[in-house]
This record gives sequence, structure tokens and C-alpha cells, in this order.
Amino acid sequence: MGQVMKNQDKTLPEGDAADLREIGFRSLDFSELALRVEDEIGEELNFDAPGLRQITTVGDVLDFIEQLQTS
Amino acid sequence: MSGLPRGAANRIVVGGTTLTWAELPALDLPSPAVVVAATATEALAAAWHQATHGGELLITTPGRIELLRDELLAAGFSIVEGDKVQSPSAVRDAEPDRLWLLTSGSTGRPKRIGHTLASLTTVKGDQAARTWLCPYLPGTYAWWQVVTLGLTQPGQDVAVVEQSELETWPVVAAEHGVTAVSGTPTFWRQTLYRGTEELAKVPLTQITLGGEPVDQAIIDQLRAVFPDTRISWIYASSEVGAAIVVHDGRAGFPIAWLGKESPDRPTLAVDGDELVIASPHHGAGLEGAVRTGDRVEIVDDRVLVVGRLNSDEINVGGSKISAGIVRNVLSAHPGVAWARVFGRRSPVVSTIVAAEVVLRTPGAADEGDLMRWCAARLPEYGVPRRIRFLDAIPVKETLKSDV
Repeated sequence: MGQVMKNQDKTLPEGDAADLREIGFRSLDFSELALRVEDEIGEELNFDAPGLRQITTVGDVLDFIEQLQTS
Repeated sequence: MSGLPRGAANRIVVGGTTLTWAELPALDLPSPAVVVAATATEALAAAWHQATHGGELLITTPGRIELLRDELLAAGFSIVEGDKVQSPSAVRDAEPDRLWLLTSGSTGRPKRIGHTLASLTTVKGDQAARTWLCPYLPGTYAWWQVVTLGLTQPGQDVAVVEQSELETWPVVAAEHGVTAVSGTPTFWRQTLYRGTEELAKVPLTQITLGGEPVDQAIIDQLRAVFPDTRISWIYASSEVGAAIVVHDGRAGFPIAWLGKESPDRPTLAVDGDELVIASPHHGAGLEGAVRTGDRVEIVDDRVLVVGRLNSDEINVGGSKISAGIVRNVLSAHPGVAWARVFGRRSPVVSTIVAAEVVLRTPGAADEGDLMRWCAARLPEYGVPRRIRFLDAIPVKETLKSDV
């Protein structure tokens, strides 16, 4: 997430509670993050957009990605 | 055929030897024939044979014949490979003076387009004496453009560079006094990428780009090396011939050219975002308006040809962006030597913009630099979200890179 933000000259706030809307982390950024993870693990991630509705904070994103990798 | 072609006394340089057309090896060709030219000399000799004996001919290369061999034999062609002649499976009369070209096949199976030496000869007025480099694959439309210049226009010499010499062509060109070079943007990007020291020694008065979308960045990069050289770009294809020629050093063509009708000149139009051309230089059976399949974007007073319609549009969560436009923005970054832009399947928005890039020098930019460069010039959904850095510019034998 830090790299995604840095490439846009933004900084990822410390702490997992930061609100995604407030820090400007949007669906395109989430897609980019997912592709970075895919490239890292060499596998395609499969999930539906509705599953993302509950994701509102930085911590939610990190948990979600971690779940995908272990599922 | 009556008499020798007007360019018969022109000099040609091939395989390191300088000679005239008539001094090429004499061929005895059946008709209709496909000549599978393993060397540039064989291809030129076949072109000379056509210009002096007529008949029905298709010139191609070993890499392209296999896909079409059976089809061509069934269509009545003998296939000539060196001393070996394969007889057709169906016999028919030859069409007099018919020249066949194969489309590049970049969007599917290559198609056969009928021309004649006359319909391929698009430069007819008197020209300043020049020595042209011919880097193209024998038998392609671009190759025939250079070859017909040499055959039909006195004072237009041709220096052929073999495919194996492409990497060092500036050395060959300087040695043989080449003053004019025609190549694809990928050819020119690759040349600039290899370094400009040898290139700057070539006394060029004419640089021509064609065969792929031509962006302002490549024109400007060439201008920096050759400040006084005429730099032109040309839109040409097997189907519509040489239809657009622009000499003002800018990408795209003036919007005022759209819809303008004049005798013996192509009429240009845009339908939706597709370029449509009615050309006097068209292939057989292609008279009238031809949908080119190429996508255009109108920017201020220019019409830019940005890419193929069926592959150019990237749909990012319902917002559409032209890969060609994104490529132009990336290519304009001072650190970028070459770029390819494409859609990549992604969660959430289904497709996002991704790119492959070759830098002019290692470390000239990183992913963040290029993303921020694009973000300042494109809508958010058009910014490449994944950029892969390649070590070399990929190029096919057609001198294109499927950007």
C-alpha cells in the first residue's frame, strides 16, 4: 500500500485505522495493489467487488489481502 | 513491358556490392510465381524481373511462406525458392503485370492484395537525387515503396541493409553515402537507443517514418540529432497505398485535410473514431472509401492516428482510454526510449492500464516517476498502474513491435 501511495506522491499514514476515503485510496488503487500482490506471489487473485464493501480502513485492506493469499 | 524502367541506371548497394539493376543475377521465373527471397539480392532481382518482363509475381521471405504455401499453390502460383520450383496444384493463366503483396498479418492471417508496379509507384514527380536505405522485409508494402523509387525515378539509388545488418545500419549507411532513410517508429527508437554517435555521421537529408503510429516524441528525438533534415511521416498500407504524407515535423495531419477532394489524391475522412480513406493508390478491388481499422484522435488542429481500433481501446471500469494516447504520453517522457501500453485484467475494475517500457539509460526513471508524469497529463483511469521495465526494444522482422 505504501508503494501505491508513494507513486502518487502520497504518504500512507501510520496505523491501520486510517480511513481509505480520507487518505484518497480508491478502487483503482486497490486494483493496483491487488496486481502488485499477484506479481509478488505469481498467482491471480480472485474476489468479487461486493466483498470489498466492508473495507473502509487501511487495516481492512491488509487483512483482506492476507486472507486472499492464505485462502 | 516496353523498354527499361526509368531508374535502370540507378545505383543499388546490396550485400556490400555496388551495381545497377541490370547487373543483378538474371532470373527465369514462371508466372504466376511466388519468389521466396532468402537474400535481399534475390528479392531485388525478382523486382527487376517484374519491371522488365511483367508477369504475375508475389515476393516474400522464408519466414512468411509456410503459413500460406498450400493456399498459394492452390491459387495457381509456382513457388520459387532459389533453384527449386514447386509447381502449383491448380493451373491457371497469369494476370499480366500483377504484383501481389501480403498484409502484415498483425491482426490475423496475412491477406493477398493485388497491385501493379504502377499502383505501387506513388512518387511520380522529379525528386532530388538521394540514396535510400532499405531496411524493410522484402515484399512488404514499405519495401516496394523504396524499390519502386529506385526502379522508376532516375537519381534514386538504393542501399539495402540485410536483416542481419540492421543493428549496425548507420555504419553501412555512412559507408555508402545514404542520404534518406525510411523506417518504422520502432526502427528509429531502436536506432536512437543504440546511440547517436554513428547515426549522426549519416548525411541524411530525408527521414521518413511509417508503418506504425508516429508520435511527436520520436519526431522531436530525431530532430535533435538532425536539426536540418526533412522529417516526414507517411500513412500507407497494402490496401490504400501511400495515403497521407506529412512534412511539417508534427505528429498527425492537419484537420483541414479531412474531406478535401482533389484529383489523384486520397480523400480522408473520420467515421466515429475510425480513419476512412478513398485512395487512387488502392489495391485491386478496393476502390471507394476503405475503412482502415485505424483509430484517430483529434487534438486541437491535428488528426492523430493512434492505433488499431480492435486493440487500442482499454475499458477501465466503464471509462475508456486509448492505449495509443497513453503510449504517446509515456514516450514523451525524456527518460523513455520505447513504450507499449495494454489493458491488464484486474480485480474490482476488471481492466487497468499497464505498460512495458524501455528506458533510454538505466535508472532514467522509476515506476513512480512515470506514473506521476502520466497522472499530470491523463485522466486518473488512464495512468498505467503497473509498469514493467524491459532491457531491450522488442522488434519483429517487419520492424514493428505491435505497440
